[in-house]
Amino acid sequence: MEYIDPHLHMVSRTTDDYETLARMGCVAISEPAFWAGFDRGSVESFRDYFRQLTDFEPKRAAQYGISHYTWLCINAKEAENVTLSREVIAMIPEFLDAKNVLGIGEIGLNKNTRNEATIFLEHLDLAVKYNQQILIHTPHLEDKYQGTRMILDMLMGDSRINRSRVLVDHVEEHTIEHVLENGFWAGMTLYPVSKCTPQRAVDMIERYGPERLMANSAGDWGPSKPTAIPDLIMEMKKRGHSKELIRRVVYENPKTFFSQSKPFVHG
Amino acid sequence: MISDTIMHERTAAQIIADEFLIARAKILELAATLDRLDRADGDIENSKQLVLLSQGMQILCDSESDKAKRVQLLMSRQYEPEWIEKMAVRRRDVEGS
Ligand SMILES: [Zn+2]
Repeated sequence: MEYIDPHLHMVSRTTDDYETLARMGCVAISEPAFWAGFDRGSVESFRDYFRQLTDFEPKRAAQYGISHYTWLCINAKEAENVTLSREVIAMIPEFLDAKNVLGIGEIGLNKNTRNEATIFLEHLDLAVKYNQQILIHTPHLEDKYQGTRMILDMLMGDSRINRSRVLVDHVEEHTIEHVLENGFWAGMTLYPVSKCTPQRAVDMIERYGPERLMANSAGDWGPSKPTAIPDLIMEMKKRGHSKELIRRVVYENPKTFFSQSKPFVHG
Repeated sequence: MISDTIMHERTAAQIIADEFLIARAKILELAATLDRLDRADGDIENSKQLVLLSQGMQILCDSESDKAKRVQLLMSRQYEPEWIEKMAVRRRDVEGS
């Protein structure tokens, strides 16, 4: 089955992974900018990263017939460095016209600090100014609930934000309802250990329905599985869900969401 | 509730048949972890983590629904609606702009 992975950090993956993804039916990927595993020292480091995301990575994906889209920002972990964050935010517009850029992301919170919130709000200003879609990272584990509620407060406190152009990622059982009820899109991230499994993601689809809901693997340099979406598809098939419902979640929904920014062309 | 059409594709009998062995294995993992703690040296009676685990297990055994969500909330830091004022984060003031 053809599918789209709306959150996958391919800069951390090998070309063999692209081949495997293509064989499993992946036709498009969206790659938010994130933390490299270490704090970068200067704005130039981000400029090179954004060149990789907007130039090199789409070419690598295209060799396997996969369309590559991206989102730009400085992630919440590095947002603790407010000075560097402001330099990066000022530089991002250089890349917004690149043909695979869908918007600003993954912005959000990590440890739910004041500096993270400040830089989150400055990213919202950037997105509004350039009419960009937004992809949001919610914190993990014990910080998720508090951080998600704080993020929603900031988004809903800003009347300029069009909620149907915002995707809130890494939702779990205790945060999904707040996100969907307030008109945002929600993404469930499948992890091999410690966080959301394909089984629990399917439970959430059964419980809340497919409206504005999608799933991703968030594969990166840490323990993660870039082929987690095929696992979700398998679990839905096993439980007897229809092809239409599966396709809605893993293909139509990301396509509909992306299309608010750039027409979806794959291959 | 977001959706009125909650989709139940499998009956309860099917789910228990499909998932009994998986759930059984998970209970055993938990039991073995508790045995491991029991055999080990040192005192963790006041450990916050141990308290959370035992409260989590109580949620599994009570008669209420929404267990996954309740376990999640149990293991979460609290949200304070007044956080913006407390942290003195600049408030957006763009209503009507
Ligand atoms: Zn990510």
